[in-house]
Amino acid sequence: MRGMRAFLVLTGYVLLLSIIVGMIYLVLSKNAPATIVNQAGIILTPVLIYVQMGLICLIAPTFSASAVSFEREQQTFDLLVVSLAKPSTILVGKVGAALSYLLLTLFGSVPLISLTYSMGGVSMGDIAIAYLIMVVQGVTYCSFSFLWSTLIRRSVVSQLVSILTVIVLVAAMPALALFFTALSASFTGAPSNTFVNVTFLLLRTNPFAAVASLIPGFPLPSSVWLRSVPIWVTQVVFYLSLMGLSLYLSLRRLRNTRNWL
Amino acid sequence: MIKIDNVTKKFGSFTAVNSVSLNIGKGEVFGFIGPNGAGKTTTIRMLATLSLPSEGSLSVGGFDIVKEPREVRRIIGYMPDSFGVYEDLLVWEYLDYFAALYHVDPSRRKRTINDVLELTDLTIKYGSQVMSLSRGMKQRLCLAKTLLHDPEVLLLDEPASGLDPHARIEIRELIRELCRMGKTILVSSHILTELADFCSSIGIIERGEMLAAGRIDEITASLAGNQVIEITVKGDPLAAIAVLEERTDIARATSDGRVVRAEYTGASEDVDVVLEYLVGRGVKLTAFTPASANLEDIFLKITRGAVA
Ligand SMILES: Nc1ncnc2c1ncn2[C@@H]1O[C@H](COP(=O)(O)OP(=O)(O)O)[C@@H](O)[C@H]1O
Ligand SMILES: [Mg+2]
Repeated sequence: MRGMRAFLVLTGYVLLLSIIVGMIYLVLSKNAPATIVNQAGIILTPVLIYVQMGLICLIAPTFSASAVSFEREQQTFDLLVVSLAKPSTILVGKVGAALSYLLLTLFGSVPLISLTYSMGGVSMGDIAIAYLIMVVQGVTYCSFSFLWSTLIRRSVVSQLVSILTVIVLVAAMPALALFFTALSASFTGAPSNTFVNVTFLLLRTNPFAAVASLIPGFPLPSSVWLRSVPIWVTQVVFYLSLMGLSLYLSLRRLRNTRNWL
Repeated sequence: MIKIDNVTKKFGSFTAVNSVSLNIGKGEVFGFIGPNGAGKTTTIRMLATLSLPSEGSLSVGGFDIVKEPREVRRIIGYMPDSFGVYEDLLVWEYLDYFAALYHVDPSRRKRTINDVLELTDLTIKYGSQVMSLSRGMKQRLCLAKTLLHDPEVLLLDEPASGLDPHARIEIRELIRELCRMGKTILVSSHILTELADFCSSIGIIERGEMLAAGRIDEITASLAGNQVIEITVKGDPLAAIAVLEERTDIARATSDGRVVRAEYTGASEDVDVVLEYLVGRGVKLTAFTPASANLEDIFLKITRGAVA
């Protein structure tokens, strides 16, 4: 039953990815010039990565966002707390379970990626970096979703807040940065240097930007702060810190359940 | 084994448990009795290391629940008043999960699971879905889970609540069995008679106050006042009453048809003197029954006292 469900989710996921990639390839081969079709990997690989990242944004939070809150709703959490399981064991068990699910889906896409890779245009190194970004992204989302699940009593609410957090992280912050850049440009004719710098700093928190920066021709102004550090490095470091903080706070929360149960 | 010393628990400005003290010895079966909302669950949750007292201290097996919760958890088995089970697991998987959480050695796990299933009479449900169990069975499954690490102390919060009479009896038999195994048991209920026949001591709590606590015979002795003897006479009840009233240790005697009720003020182990006296004075009787201390009466007496 449970094994079956995991299998179905995985199959559905890979199927969805294949359909998306297949459709794009179809459109390309009908309309694009032969030079691009011959290098279809250069378009299909990023698309495949992006679709997966989008799915991670939606799926990763739901995996662990109800870990504790749902157990509290089901009245099973007390029994877990009075058992001899250490808070760290509970944390590792819960986040680990969500992660293993996520990694399973990620690795389910490997055959597809090798297909688009074989179409040429992208390097193996870049694909590896993209997967690193995705794994870190998933771990981080699982981590702060778990934190929310210890902080919020109702599982529906903790799920919602977790997804909102993801949205703020991947969409709202860059949007804000771009908005201010545009605003400053409308006043002074050209965006001020500081705004451009802040925009690029904020982009460094964004996994989508990190993947985009791997594509040749990604615009990076010559005078921007931290120019020599690749965007994906700062993004991964930022996410890992976020993960560390979430896990630390979750552990503290699990250690003093008697103050909030 | 269980020590509660002047414990108060407040939720905001509401006092759920008010300076309660209690001592439960090793091997005792303590009945924790009180109406709904009296503070039983609040007290038990503190003992189970799930919440902290606002004032006072609690210890189990000599371990302080605030400072040494892990040691306490090792020796207690806690069954909440309402609990959930992981519905999508099989019975043995559920027990295996908790056996792992309680560090039961993997090589002994299967044996332990079989043992607790046998004790709770669930052996035939080994491979069943937890979801498919009846309420009484889930209750027993939770009790089975509670026994996995062979705890010395059991904290059972209303284990029989919400069960049909048959399942209730099964749970009671089970508690009796555990009591024979020498475990120290604290079991709560809002129904007094449910516990009366197997508890060695009881505590009566109402609105967060412990009204009485101690061994059942002590409580009855201190609170029962006069013991009632029911005497079924063959001849004239009024003659029997006259004879009874000759004695200074009979406070009052009344008749209700053939049955005479005499309020006896002497020591209960000397009640045979009354029987001998009646027989000696030629009263013919077919039954002589010193009413055993009726807990229900005592309970009413105590709780009425609290209201007054
Ligand atoms: N977490 C809580 N917050 C506020 N009040 C509570 C809480 N838990 C229990 N109470 C109150 O404390 C009182 C005692 O409850 P409880 O210990 O559950 O009673 P019992 O188990 O004897 O039925 C009740 O009035 C209940 O409403
Ligand atoms: Mg209760």
